[in-house]
Order: sequence, then structure tokens, then C-alpha cells
Amino acid sequence: MGIGPPSRVTPQAVIQNDVVITHEDIDRAHDRIRVSAARAQRGVFSRFRLLWLLVGPGILVMLGENDGPSMISYAATGARFGIGFFIPFVVLTFCMALVVQEMTMRLGSATHRGHAELIFDRFGPFWGWFSMIDLGIGNFLTLITEFIAIRAGLGFFGVPPWAAVVSALAFLGLAIMTHRYWTWERTLLAIAVFNLVFVPVALLTHPNWHSVGRALITWKPLPGGLSQETLIIVLADIGATVTPWMLFFQQSATVDKGLTTKDIRLGRIDTVVGAALAAIAAVATILATAPLFAHHMTAENFQGAEFAQALQPLIGRFGAALFALGIVEAGMVASVTISISSAYAFGEVARRPHSLNLPMAEGRAFYSVLFLCAATAGAIVLIPGLPLVYVVLLVNVVAVLAMPPALVFLFMLANDREVMGDLVSPRWANLLATSVVIFLTLAGVFFGISVIAPNVFAFLGGK
Amino acid sequence: MPSKDKGHSSITTSDQELVLSSLEPEQLTGLKKHLIPRRHLRGLEKFIVWSLRIYLLFMMAVVIFQVWTSLH
Repeated sequence: MGIGPPSRVTPQAVIQNDVVITHEDIDRAHDRIRVSAARAQRGVFSRFRLLWLLVGPGILVMLGENDGPSMISYAATGARFGIGFFIPFVVLTFCMALVVQEMTMRLGSATHRGHAELIFDRFGPFWGWFSMIDLGIGNFLTLITEFIAIRAGLGFFGVPPWAAVVSALAFLGLAIMTHRYWTWERTLLAIAVFNLVFVPVALLTHPNWHSVGRALITWKPLPGGLSQETLIIVLADIGATVTPWMLFFQQSATVDKGLTTKDIRLGRIDTVVGAALAAIAAVATILATAPLFAHHMTAENFQGAEFAQALQPLIGRFGAALFALGIVEAGMVASVTISISSAYAFGEVARRPHSLNLPMAEGRAFYSVLFLCAATAGAIVLIPGLPLVYVVLLVNVVAVLAMPPALVFLFMLANDREVMGDLVSPRWANLLATSVVIFLTLAGVFFGISVIAPNVFAFLGGK
Repeated sequence: MPSKDKGHSSITTSDQELVLSSLEPEQLTGLKKHLIPRRHLRGLEKFIVWSLRIYLLFMMAVVIFQVWTSLH
């Protein structure tokens, strides 16, 4: 047996079965020709070109997950707890995301099937629909929070809520109108890198690097100890890093991009680079709002980019504007990736064409689902009086709770030798993945206990 | 022989050759209609999947309870 998955279809079968060739296939073929040409050449430049051609899904999923609610969760973390336990904790959550996302990239490259499609085919519609319901609800709730972030971020510049929502929908329309995966991916990558705007904002606050180093080593301090509020922030920060839509998005984007088993090594680099960039931006956001904690300013009254207003006296108008723009960018990029994740899953399950290479005429259902999800979520955000930060934290908590069932299917698929051949997960990866499932489940259980019996934490020395 | 997409006569024979020479057979959109064979969950797998499903439903009830108490 070779290194790849066992082939279910031979080229001869392709010809005999009278296969329909589509524009989607032609676009993907052009992309693969460039990859093959770069791979055939030697030299450092060609290696970099190959890497450049193959990166995308990993960076996009990680920076996409540094979305509006995630950045608001990190901002709330910095403002409530300052520099301490949560700095190394957030780095740990990105390590967990890396373990999980590598599996989706490997699955997509080996099977050329999206995650929803694979669950439906392999485990049947009963379990498939459960996964789809989890994904649908989770994606829709998260999309609402993306629009909350966009509304709040643009609100800093005096943009009214309705105009913020319309701008976000227009951005979504522009992002997909090229009907070409490659162009969409490069455009979104260029915008997603703007997520690192939180780094200069953090530098403007002149962080105490000694405290940062000490926190990374000792995981301390944790002001207030163990309490229900701490647990909500713990879960929100996990939910800011590992969520079900990421599994579906990266696997489908890997398939849409056309990655094969030969690309897995560089696909891993893509995912590692994405995780590293996203972790830097996340830690920078905590550092940026940590002065609010140091100055004993409460975060309870902040609504998204009002963190920017609170920071203005400390870092000036320019720094605060950068922070608000960062929140807008995070919401914009994620509203695109999450809408696309829903549309991919719909197409895979409904057996309708689902690719960003599709012309509008061929992909009407795909593009309609994509746009309808976003437009409905945007409309909900315009309801007056929504407790924005609370909704954001809650949606991240829900994402964490939905993760273990999703991870078990991913785990089974990545270890399915009939599907993956010799590309099944190695033992060390299984150990890490099992640890992630147990950790997420326990975090959820602790949250449940804190809600049902809050006094239990008094016995553990918390509040 | 591979056929053209019926709604798109602009696809030429050279396009077909390009696609067949650069994509793996299973990457072809037309072949994705072939289902991957079904496998049935075994005892332990079924137990874990059902346990996590019950866990999720229970935790959602906890979240709803948390929202309700916060609102009151």
C-alpha cells in the first residue's frame, strides 16, 4: 500500500463513466498546474513559491477564528484579569487548535471531500444531520456576533448600526464576486493579516515584558481565583480558538483549493503559521486591554469597540482607532469565512455544487445560502438593546460545548484506514486529540457545575 | 469519453485534457456523486458518540438556565 488513501476510483473508470467536466474543475486544474510547475523546479525561490501557492486554508481559518467575538473575549480577558494566567492559557488553546486543524487538512487532502460530506457518507444521515444542526446553529449564532463586532467597531467612527451592517454585506458580496477560489483566498489573506494590528496597539500600552515572561512561565496571577466568571472567560477564550465551523471550513477549503496528499507537509506549515499569527494577535489584544485592569477600570460597561474608547486616554486617538479597526476587520473576515463554511456544508449535504470557483449561474444555491445566512444575522444585530458583550461571551461558550461531539467524528475519520489509508493519525496525534476532547469536556462540565451549584467553588478556594 | 458540462458548451476538448491530466480522479466534481462506503459505529464508538450528544443537550439546557438567571 502507498502512502495515500486507497483509491476508490481509477482513471479508467473516470473515462468509462462519462464524467461531466465543469468550470470548477478547469479553474482547479489551472491552480494545480502552477503547483506542479513550482514543485518540479529546484532552488530556494521555487520552494518559497510552492509554499506561497499552497498556503491559505490554514492561515485563513486561524485568523478567521480570531474573529469579532474572539477579539472581544480577549479584550474582556485583559481588562478583567490583566497580564497573568490567560497569556499562556491562550497560547495553549492555539496549540489545541493546531492539533485539531491539522487533522482536517489531512482529511481534505486525502479524501477530496468536505467534512459534512464525509460524515454523511461514512456514518449516515442520522449522525450527519446531528452534526449539521450543531454546525448550523453554531455558525448562525457566531455570525450574529461578527455583526455585533462590526457594528461596535464602526460605531467608534460614528457609523450608524444600519450602515455598518450594509457595509459588511457589501464586503461579503465583493469578496466572493470574482467566482475564483484563488482570487478570493489571496484577497482575504491580505485583509486577514490586518488582524496583527493589535500588536502595535499592544506596544502603545508599553507592556511590562517582565510580567509577560513571568506569566508565560508560572501561569500566574489569576486575580479572583476560580469563580463562575473566571470559568466563563476560560470557556470564552477556548471558544475563541477552537470551534466546529473551523473543522468544516478548513477541510472544505482544502478540497476547494485542490490540495492532494503531496501537499500535506506544506499544508501543515500553513496551519502552523496561521496558529502562530493568530496567537500573537490574541496575546497582543490581552496586552492591549491589560492597562484597563491595572487602572482598576471595569470592563462591564464596554460594548465591543467601546474597549477602544476606554483605551483612548491611555494610548491616544490613533491607538484607539487602530483597536476599533482591528475589531471591524476581525468581524468582516470571519463573517465571510463562517458564511462560506455554512454554504460549503449545505452544498455537500444537499449534493449541490459548492465551490468558490463556481460562476453565479452554476452556484446559485451555494451563493444564496452564503448570503442569506449573513443577511439574517446582520438584521438581528439591528435589534435595539442587545447585551452585546454578554451575547459574545455566551456564543463562545456554546461553541466550546459543541466541540467534543464534533471532534469525536473528526477523530474517527482521521483514524479510518479505509478512508485515509496510511495517512491515519499517528499515535502521538491521537493522544493529543484525545487530551483536547477530555479537556474541552471537563471545561464544559466545570462550567455546568458552576451554574448549577455555584457554592462548590468555595470549597476549592475560589469565589 | 468525459463529456462537457451540458450547461456550458464553452468547455473544449483541451480543457478536458487539462483537467484529466492535472487533477486526481477523485478531485473531479462529477465523481463526487460516488458515495464513500458506509461504516457502522461499533459498541464503544456508539457509547461515546451518544454520551457526548447527551452531554451537549444537557449543557445547552445549562446555558439556557444561565441566561434565564442572568435576565432575572
